[in-house]
Amino acid sequence: MRASANSWGWGRGRRGAGQVVIYLLLCLVAAIFLLPLFWMVSSSLKPEWQVLANPPVWIPTPPRWANYREALTYLPFGRYAVNTLIISLGAIVGHLLSCTIVAYGFARLAAPGKGFFFALLLSTLMLPYPVTMVPLFALFNRLGWIDTFLPLIVPAFFGNAFYIFLLRQFFLTLPPDLEDAARMDGANTLQVLRHVILPISTPALATVVIFTFQASWNDFLQPLIFLQNQSNYTLTLGLNFFRGSFQVNWAYLMAASLVVVLPVVIVFFLAQRLFIQGIAMTGIKG
Amino acid sequence: MMSSRRREAITFYLTISPWMIGFLAFTLAPMAIALYLGFTRWDLFGAPKWVGLDNYMRMLADPLFAQSLKVTTIYTLVYVPLEMVGGISLALLVNQKVRGVGVFRTIFYLPSVLAGVAYVVLWMWIFNPQGGLLNTLLGAAGIQGPRWLIDPRWALPSLLLMTFWGWGRAMVLYLAGLQGVPPELYEAAAIDGAGVRAKFWRITVPMITPTILFALILSIISTFQTFTSAFVATNGGPLDATLFYVLYIYRQAFQYFRMGYASALAWVLFLIIMALTLVLFRSGQFWVHYEGERE
Amino acid sequence: MKKHTSAVWPLLCLLMAFTLLAGCAPVPAAPALPAATVPAAGPAEGSKIILRVGTGDSGEGLTPHQEIISRFEQANPDVLVQLEAVAGNDYYTRLLTQIAAKRPPDIIQIGDDAVPMFVEKGALLPLDDLIKGQDGLDTSIYLPGLAEPGKWNGVQYLLPKDYSPLGVYFNKKIFDQFKVEYPQDGWTWDDLLATAQALTQDTDGDGKTDIWGVQLPASWTSGFEYWVAASGGRLISEDGKQFAGYMDSPEMQTALKFYADLYNVHKVAPPPADLAMWGGGNTEFDQGKAAMRLFGRWPQAGYKTNPNIDLGVVGSPAGKERVSVLFWGGFGIAANSEHPEAAWRFLKFYAGEEGAAVWKDWALPAVKSVADSSGLSKDPIEGVWISELSHLAPRAYVSTPFWGQTADPALRKALETVLIDPTADVAVVLKAAAAEAQKALDEQMAQK
Repeated sequence: MRASANSWGWGRGRRGAGQVVIYLLLCLVAAIFLLPLFWMVSSSLKPEWQVLANPPVWIPTPPRWANYREALTYLPFGRYAVNTLIISLGAIVGHLLSCTIVAYGFARLAAPGKGFFFALLLSTLMLPYPVTMVPLFALFNRLGWIDTFLPLIVPAFFGNAFYIFLLRQFFLTLPPDLEDAARMDGANTLQVLRHVILPISTPALATVVIFTFQASWNDFLQPLIFLQNQSNYTLTLGLNFFRGSFQVNWAYLMAASLVVVLPVVIVFFLAQRLFIQGIAMTGIKG
Repeated sequence: MMSSRRREAITFYLTISPWMIGFLAFTLAPMAIALYLGFTRWDLFGAPKWVGLDNYMRMLADPLFAQSLKVTTIYTLVYVPLEMVGGISLALLVNQKVRGVGVFRTIFYLPSVLAGVAYVVLWMWIFNPQGGLLNTLLGAAGIQGPRWLIDPRWALPSLLLMTFWGWGRAMVLYLAGLQGVPPELYEAAAIDGAGVRAKFWRITVPMITPTILFALILSIISTFQTFTSAFVATNGGPLDATLFYVLYIYRQAFQYFRMGYASALAWVLFLIIMALTLVLFRSGQFWVHYEGERE
Repeated sequence: MKKHTSAVWPLLCLLMAFTLLAGCAPVPAAPALPAATVPAAGPAEGSKIILRVGTGDSGEGLTPHQEIISRFEQANPDVLVQLEAVAGNDYYTRLLTQIAAKRPPDIIQIGDDAVPMFVEKGALLPLDDLIKGQDGLDTSIYLPGLAEPGKWNGVQYLLPKDYSPLGVYFNKKIFDQFKVEYPQDGWTWDDLLATAQALTQDTDGDGKTDIWGVQLPASWTSGFEYWVAASGGRLISEDGKQFAGYMDSPEMQTALKFYADLYNVHKVAPPPADLAMWGGGNTEFDQGKAAMRLFGRWPQAGYKTNPNIDLGVVGSPAGKERVSVLFWGGFGIAANSEHPEAAWRFLKFYAGEEGAAVWKDWALPAVKSVADSSGLSKDPIEGVWISELSHLAPRAYVSTPFWGQTADPALRKALETVLIDPTADVAVVLKAAAAEAQKALDEQMAQK
């Protein structure tokens, strides 16, 4: 039996009025959400002096497509994109490997002191970054990692409280029957994790991938501190250049921002398909 | 022969070992240093100088400390519940098997991804009292719009308005949670004659309570640490109306060269957030329903 | 069970494609900088010395830096210069973090009002010996007033990078449209008010101002020092110990009242659009909706190519005094730099004639001979800026290293208050500002 119900509990075959209402709602909300985006696109196609014109120009005629080419060649964005991609992919792999294991431990295994460690885990999210930034920089400086990608990738292989927490919550919602069955068949923890839990955790894993990619791609403070040589810069550092200290180069900034955000959007669009597939609760035999 | 309990405990510690190592190396040291710095005076140039409880005494007499705490608390109290309701609503809306729902999901998620300086700067423009989008639209409807980010009474609400478009992130979390609800429950309920509302409140909501707890905790933790939007849009102004706590910390550290005081402030925030989180977590035993918890 | 893999392949392919595309994207012809995977600091063993240069300039503003760097590297093949640029205030965040970990760049850019603080904290190398030494520099080559901001307590620590006095832009198109005479050098505050009033117009009769007389920089504190100086006042006592009696003096009140009245009473200045942005975020002048603008030279390049503007520039109007103020950025050598000799070579090149020769195409050069030989001193627009250098009044930060923690926030608050609340009493506001600044100053002095 395939998973077919949505959270309203409507089964297959419900058509007609329900669908229309849904579509209307979706379109209405989408219109509201798209407003700022529309404005960004519109601004990105204007000559600089027209961006802040009052009364505002809604659709620039003619649209200045050259802005995109100029904005992206302003600085070596290709290089920055590669840098950012390496960092993001590294972080994704690191998180997927480490956070799943740790989260499973917190979700399913009992041990004395577990509550303490979980509280400790959460507490790491609570200290504001401007304060930990300086000691972290000094630490990575001692290790000789400044101006490399290492401070941005290596910590991901040691877990991340946010994603560990997320996965732990998700694992807790899964009924333990499948795992119990597997253990009775003699599987150890890692095998249970790999063969039983992970295949049915695709929405949560997709979430980790989406959020990690976005966080790395858009990260500003960490690259600001840890990278120095401009050829190591990431895209957000590059975008910041459009913000001169007295003047924002609006049209270029909007154009470049839209291009920079594209991969994140595409990753999301592809990964969110996993939410549709949902959990295939094939019948448990026996 | 080891008892299975002992074995389980060892396995537990093995599984969390990657995190523990990382914690010791990358987190504990900075946190401990920050704690130490809270008892010193340090201008970033020379060496820290021990001053005991001076920084904490200073906090008690500092009107801006109280102001930043007030601003941040009000903002959090408004934003977090709204984000929960908004996120769940959006997630429900897009958890449908309609064609093209992927496009809609992407559209709702998009603004939260554009987050960053460009986005905040865009909103500053939208809020521009003279020719910004908002006041132009209001003007077309015959309303004289307020001065938004320039008006001390409207600055904080403006920042709140700006963040509603960021519900996409919460939507994704709740969507993952909704996907974890076994459909058999709905089918069984349908057979028993339950309507849409019953299914929602009796099945959906209880089943996603772990996700709600998670999202709420994370929302509180991160909203208390709001920084970028305040830094870029208003820089704490006008007249400290949007002086968020972390912005105040940043300012003390990098503009006033009072790293010791900034560290003390940071630890106070840490304790506040910790307390709130504990309370929320404890409350969970009353309203969170774990299907598969094994304790 | 295997359904979830169907999304993985498209994802992977997409990411690979993106990498390939990104790798093929055009890269501008900037000098190739080494992709450092090992720390750049440390002695060079038989290979080149790597000099790190930190700057807060961004975007196109980096082009003169890169040009100067490539010329320097050609003349000094044993040195490789690594430019580390960060836009805006984030530059200071990174710089301070680096200083805290004892790893600043060899050459540091510092803005004028931060110079005293950085010098007092021992972050910079004194340059006097190097200036007078064998490979020295003749500091008389600079235009008047340009070497001073790099000095503190009589010792030179930084050399000029770029600078701008304050002046008034005006849009000839609007002046012509309403048949008002262009402002002339030597004009006064009253002239400014009269001109602005004549040019503040409601052109379509809807009761709302369409053209404004003069765009002012809102709560910009350093810029306000012009008004202070022109009214004959000062923000702080010369010994740097007292704000009371200075920040709330009658001259200050005159200055603040005149400024605020331009906004609130005469309404010739457009209200600020965004107090967080430097200069108030106003764009009326850019759009051809304001006849004049009081500001520095930075946005000039854009104005020259803006179709809404036919640009003219005139010196600042005289209040009680005929003055302007200078805004300045300079380069210095980090006190703990491991390559002070190479750093000095670069600094001398950059701040001397060689560097000025490049700068003249981008901004005003600091070296007099270059300014003259390139004709900039006589240019109808650029010449105005250069001649303003003869009327400079000292800024408040030369009296105290604590400008950023004391006078700046107090003054900003005062300016914001009068801009937000037109009914505020200027005397009361200034008295509160002076008290606040004094309190902060006393605290800083006590810690010294």
